[in-house]
Amino acid sequence: MILAIETSCDDTCAAVITSAGEILANVVSSQGVHDRFGGVVPEIASRHHLELVNAVVDDALVRAGATLDDVELVAVTQGPGLVGALLVGVATAKALAAARRLPLAAVDHLHGHVAANYLAPDPMEPPFLCLIASGGHTLMTHVTEPGGFQVIGQTLDDAAGEAFDKGARLLGLGYPGGPALSRLAQDGDPAAFKFPTAERVGGLDFSFAGLKTALLYAVRDLGESETKRRAADLAASYEHAIVEALVGRVRRAL
Amino acid sequence: MDTATAATTVALAGPGREAIEARDDPPPGGRPNHAARLLALAGCGWRDVDRLAVGLGPGGFTGLRIGIATARGLAQAHGIPVVGVSSLAALARGAEAPGRIVVGVIDARRGEVFVAAYADGRDTVLAPGVVAPEALAGHLGGVGPGALAVGDGAVRYRAQLEALGSQVPPDDAPEHRIAAVQVCRLGALGEPADLDGLLPHNLREPDAVPRDR
Ligand SMILES: [Zn+2]
Repeated sequence: MILAIETSCDDTCAAVITSAGEILANVVSSQGVHDRFGGVVPEIASRHHLELVNAVVDDALVRAGATLDDVELVAVTQGPGLVGALLVGVATAKALAAARRLPLAAVDHLHGHVAANYLAPDPMEPPFLCLIASGGHTLMTHVTEPGGFQVIGQTLDDAAGEAFDKGARLLGLGYPGGPALSRLAQDGDPAAFKFPTAERVGGLDFSFAGLKTALLYAVRDLGESETKRRAADLAASYEHAIVEALVGRVRRAL
Repeated sequence: MDTATAATTVALAGPGREAIEARDDPPPGGRPNHAARLLALAGCGWRDVDRLAVGLGPGGFTGLRIGIATARGLAQAHGIPVVGVSSLAALARGAEAPGRIVVGVIDARRGEVFVAAYADGRDTVLAPGVVAPEALAGHLGGVGPGALAVGDGAVRYRAQLEALGSQVPPDDAPEHRIAAVQVCRLGALGEPADLDGLLPHNLREPDAVPRDR
């Protein structure tokens, strides 16, 4: 079995999988303390990782019906991410591996996203195209072998997830407002507003800054009460533009 | 082990054997391999370790987290009880000045120091606090004059401490460095902690402030 630890941002995570890629446990502990700061505070994230990390590892082992005796390899995210947050996971993984005389695998966070495709029950086999659109990253990768990936497009400004959160803030949905924006969008008309999808950005790169600005202008032009009344339409159109931008680049890449 | 300052210090101590220490003066880092080397030297393994002791600071946030996360991981790996120790107390205890008051001073950066005072290497005379060097005289009060002041903060702010009547050993004296052997000794006296509660002594709050929404 493989025990993995991930503390690159504000979630404290541990998982146990078999070497065949079957997920036995996947524990994600969200800190939930950053909302009132309007964003993730690295110092606070790091403090909470330290509080939670051993309990999260324990929890993952229990859920997997395993003990450290069953673990053959310890894997940990080594970056990119918040340095103060990463070091808690790395120190923990190093200590567990050293004390148990287990090999330690330092994993690139983005490679982790790509490697999620190798997990059971439907593992993919390279070659494939992989779009990574997470909270902090938006990039297009070409994967030709399991041990790596090639970045063929990336965002020139915000990640798609950041675009969601920034749009939500413009609509007064708080932080992190991405999920709230998506919920609101379900009741709206995605064609109500025509927001840009950065078609003019060449190649496979992404850009969401123009979209954010377009929403800012729309909110300003509509005024407070009209923005409130049409919030669902704004959210749906904004979300539609983000997805269109992603899908358009995937089409180009194919 | 202690990682509150720029140094990493790891020691192995036990009844009937001489304590041994491995250390890195800057740069710091969580280094279980130090511990493994000491265990190999002593001819024992992790299963022979009855207790872990770790310095909880106060000190540098990053260094402390590496040391404490490492201690917690090692403890979790083999179910070893772990005791948190004040890094200032370990520093003062290393001065080995019986009958004297020892003031531990750790450089807290940003123009401040962490400071505490102890008598006979273990009784707390003045609890850990964080002050500007210019405020040391007022903070230490009657404790300062005649006391022995040690630590990287004492070296850096020697002038302020000598002015208030404390004695500061030469800059390169070993008394200024925290030695994990002292962490072992204090750890042997303390009560094992709940692993999840083993956290740094943060005397300063994060800079971030909640925003008004
Ligand atoms: Zn990610």
